[in-house]
Amino acid sequence: MASATDSRYGQKESSDQNFDYMFKILIIGNSSVGKTSFLFRYADDSFTPAFVSTVGIDFKVKTIYRNDKRIKLQIWDTAGQERYRTITTAYYRGAMGFILMYDITNEESFNAVQDWSTQIKTYSWDNAQVLLVGNKCDMEDERVVSAEKGRQLAEHLGFEFFEASAKDNINVKQTFERLVDIICEKMSESLDAADPAVTGAKQGPQLSDQQAPPHQDCAC
Amino acid sequence: MAADSEPESEVFEITDFTTASEWERFISKIEEVLNDWKLIGISSGKPLEKGVYTTGAWEEKSDEISFADFRFSVTHHYLVQEPGDRDGREEGVEDALPLPMQDLLCMNNDFPPRAHCLVRWYGLREFVVIAPAANNDAVLSESKCNLLLSSVSIALGNTGCQVPLFVQIHQKWRRMYVGECQGPGVRTDFEMVHLRKAPSQYTHLSGLLDVFKSKIGCPLTPLPPVSMAIRLTYVLQDWQQYFWPQQPPDIDALVGGEVGGLEFGKLPFGACEDPISELHLATTWPHLTEGIIVDNDVYSDLDPIQAPQWSVRVRKADNPQCLLGDFLNEFFKLCHRKESTDEILGRSAFEEDGKEVADISHALSKLTEPAPVPIHKLSVTNMVHSAKKKIRKHRGVDESPLNNEVLNTILLNLFSQFKSAPSDSLTYKLALCLCMINFYHGGVKGVAHLWQEFVLEMRYRWENNYLIPGLANGPPDLRCCLLHQKLQMLNCCIERKKARDEGKRGNVSDRSPSGSSGDTGRGADHSGDNLKEADKEVGKSWESWSDSEEEFFECLSDAEDLKGNGQENGKKGGAKEGSRDPVSLKPEGRLHPHGKLTLLHPGEPLYIPITQEPAPMTEDLLEEQSEVLAKLGTSAEGAHLRARMQSACLLSDMESFKAANPGCCLEDFVRWYSPRDYIEEEVVDEKGNVVIKGELSARMKIPSNMWVEAWETAKPVPARRQKRLFDDTREAEKVLHYLAVQKPADLARHLLPCVIHAAVLKVKEEEVLEDISSVKKIIKQIISHSSKVLRFPNPEDKKLEEIIAQIMSVEAIIARARSLKAKFGVEKCENEEEKEDLQRCPCPYATWCILYAHLSNHLFTLTESSDEVTNFVPHFPLIFLSCIELNLSISAMPPLDEELRRSGSAEERRFTAGSVLDFPPPTGREIVLRTTVPSPAPYSKALPQRMYSVLTKEDFRLAGAFSADTTFF
Repeated sequence: MASATDSRYGQKESSDQNFDYMFKILIIGNSSVGKTSFLFRYADDSFTPAFVSTVGIDFKVKTIYRNDKRIKLQIWDTAGQERYRTITTAYYRGAMGFILMYDITNEESFNAVQDWSTQIKTYSWDNAQVLLVGNKCDMEDERVVSAEKGRQLAEHLGFEFFEASAKDNINVKQTFERLVDIICEKMSESLDAADPAVTGAKQGPQLSDQQAPPHQDCAC
Repeated sequence: MAADSEPESEVFEITDFTTASEWERFISKIEEVLNDWKLIGISSGKPLEKGVYTTGAWEEKSDEISFADFRFSVTHHYLVQEPGDRDGREEGVEDALPLPMQDLLCMNNDFPPRAHCLVRWYGLREFVVIAPAANNDAVLSESKCNLLLSSVSIALGNTGCQVPLFVQIHQKWRRMYVGECQGPGVRTDFEMVHLRKAPSQYTHLSGLLDVFKSKIGCPLTPLPPVSMAIRLTYVLQDWQQYFWPQQPPDIDALVGGEVGGLEFGKLPFGACEDPISELHLATTWPHLTEGIIVDNDVYSDLDPIQAPQWSVRVRKADNPQCLLGDFLNEFFKLCHRKESTDEILGRSAFEEDGKEVADISHALSKLTEPAPVPIHKLSVTNMVHSAKKKIRKHRGVDESPLNNEVLNTILLNLFSQFKSAPSDSLTYKLALCLCMINFYHGGVKGVAHLWQEFVLEMRYRWENNYLIPGLANGPPDLRCCLLHQKLQMLNCCIERKKARDEGKRGNVSDRSPSGSSGDTGRGADHSGDNLKEADKEVGKSWESWSDSEEEFFECLSDAEDLKGNGQENGKKGGAKEGSRDPVSLKPEGRLHPHGKLTLLHPGEPLYIPITQEPAPMTEDLLEEQSEVLAKLGTSAEGAHLRARMQSACLLSDMESFKAANPGCCLEDFVRWYSPRDYIEEEVVDEKGNVVIKGELSARMKIPSNMWVEAWETAKPVPARRQKRLFDDTREAEKVLHYLAVQKPADLARHLLPCVIHAAVLKVKEEEVLEDISSVKKIIKQIISHSSKVLRFPNPEDKKLEEIIAQIMSVEAIIARARSLKAKFGVEKCENEEEKEDLQRCPCPYATWCILYAHLSNHLFTLTESSDEVTNFVPHFPLIFLSCIELNLSISAMPPLDEELRRSGSAEERRFTAGSVLDFPPPTGREIVLRTTVPSPAPYSKALPQRMYSVLTKEDFRLAGAFSADTTFF
């Protein structure tokens, strides 16, 4: 999957030559857990207490540098309402990474995580990477989901876990960067795995015309 | 230096007479090369381990030198040894024999299966060959040969190099080498005789022994014993037992109606030619001492049955032609065809379409009434006939790439299995079917023809509300190929149209009946694709998006009474926040009561409305849409626009909600639709009572946000009277058009994943029968590889070719395994009990299973890197016999006596069978004779002497290495 020439990785769109790879990332989770705020904090470093509830799907773009590679992140923000499920799940297939978000002050949003994770499994591409994020960790007074519970669930689902706050800008950048790193790791892994592949024949030379995957030495 | 610059100084001319002639220069060049390659000095190394010539790696280095203008290539062949071994070159014991001379006597690597001929003949681990360079003539004249040999001798003497140096003389194909090896006080001469026909005294051991002895000319009596290694090789190559070309599935047989078309769902498998070209059996006597056996012109003890060591080598055919691989390749080739369906079938067929359609639909309309079961067949047949007629008109019957019966069978077959809950989809079957058609029935023409029929059938189904069978219900499955999604999309359209038409029929009083033709005609007017529309009208105000009435209503007939409702509401400015709509409005489009919630103001139960389903999307539509969305950019305006473009669903839901709940307000809607945006708090009112007070969340209260705006615009219209979010008519036409314009090449690309999928399944199925572990692994790799490659749209050809090549290699491996099985008579043994007996029995007669296991392990792990494999099997002489028997019918072997079979010991049986069956004369006889004797005088050092001889049908060779003490001579 992860060749640089594949459309999903790093194929340079004619309009924008300024990146080596492009990752599509989806933020999902129940309604009003703070997905839009989280994205605005990351992409614009801004915070507004109330964003209009997202209709359908929206996106932002951010370009970051990882291991000397410019990575363009196209981050899609989704509506969390039940009614939008069918619309948003259609977008799952193109995404390489997911940020699955719940609100630590809202039990229901946490209980829905399992369900969201199933949705990912059903509709996404098998190699998509997922991070579980408990948002609004600034609101300690209203917390109803302990960090430990979150961590356990993440472990159970096989995701990495962060608690974050879009409002106080806690762990927002880290979350995205970690996700990017995981995607990169997966990418190089599968490139490596493809190497000795299949009876040794004809595989080797072909790999060399692909871009080497970024190596993993991230500090977070 | 200063002296040189003085013009008057005396000129000294130093002439190096040692390199004056071309010859001397040639010798010094040889020395240079030897020096460059660091071959000077005492060679040392460990004694050779058993089999190391086969298992170890051989390498070579080459250089070019010239004698005058005649170019020679110099090549150093050597067995790669551990670094420690080669470093020790300088530290060898002074009086030890040079390594090559020791190797002459080493018996651990006789008859290596794959090695340079000099290795085979002399047992050397390292040597240098000087041969005429690529385009130069062979060295033929005796004087030239001698000159070369002298050069070698001098070079070795000068440098002290202990590596044997050979020169190749005579024509290349004769592989004649002479050479020399020098050590301190010793020298070995390598000599060779090569003849087309062996003189009769050399065809047996005793004659060769005489030659050997006379050659050493040993003065001692008695002569030290000569040790002998003998190998007789038998080659089987003209297989008669099996007819390899496999019969393709016979479509005519299908037409006969007996097979039921099963064959169309299966890909063929297997080799068309024997994938095993030769089987070699070598019977070896690795170590005999002179006198133990007799082999002369009248009698021989060399009975292959008695040979202590047997080995088998399999030579595989290069790229045997295999059916599955051919199928895949042919189908893949389709991807590169440029022609469109029209071009292939003749343009006129399509031009007439318009006129003919009426005909067809007329013929078919008769069939719309009866129960659907017989319709399937009838309609298809009918379709085919009328379509055939049409095509025939223009091209004549004979030109038609598929004859009528064949086509009928195909189409019937495609559709006939639908009722029986098929596990595979229509798309998958279509792929296999096209693959077959492509291979057996007219190639690309046949494909184009079938596709055209298929598209016609799809249109027929759309127009007559017949669902397409063999597709999963629901929206297009994005995990499937696009073509499959398109078909699913078409099915969605058919389903909705059917529901609508049935609804109409059911409610004639409620809704004026509007024929499907009218419907179809208008379909193009209302664009269901809001996004597209929005794209064109970016920048228009909110009102223009969604508030134009004539765009909004589906049926004019309904519009009147709707307007009554709508205007009332509309005049009051929609459902203004807090405005009390007249509750007298008749609620419409209720699904069921919410159960828990009641409306905030009238206190009526809150009803969940019937809503429109969001439009199903195929991946290309989705891609298109997300591109449109992305193009709006990330600015706030862009985001706002994006939200508006996607608001159709929200608006529709709001309208349905309003219709179902007259007098409702946004809070009501939000409590149903996005509960977390309605915040309830317990507050104590002025009277001290605890009441629950609710309000919209902060974000819902943002002035003129999307939700509020949409709410204000929304009119109470039930879903069924709203403009369709999904315009099935339009989408269906789009899909049908898409299908119609697919060229055979496009089609092949669409379906290639299905074909590969089927091929992998087929290979897997075949592998299960054979149970070859290495194949299992390769199949796993193929699966993971293809899943990576096929995941993306338009995978690279190179990668697809790779996958196909991998599948082909697996097919070849399995075919080989089968061929071997057949050759060893595994399949012959039909009696299960007997078979088990044989397998359990430890006697040689039953070793075929062991042998087979051995062979398969080796064969199938080494397949990619080598073309032949040797495997040593200690005892199985009789197997080969039976194999010879099976394949060459050399002599009829009477069935083994039952009694003997049961009671006889292994030995007995061996004996019996051996006496019954004669081995054919060996294809090759190799004999190595070795001894250590002093030469040239009785008091000289005892030195290794060796002679190798090989005798085949058209070739006889003696290769001798005779050493002599040079100290006093």
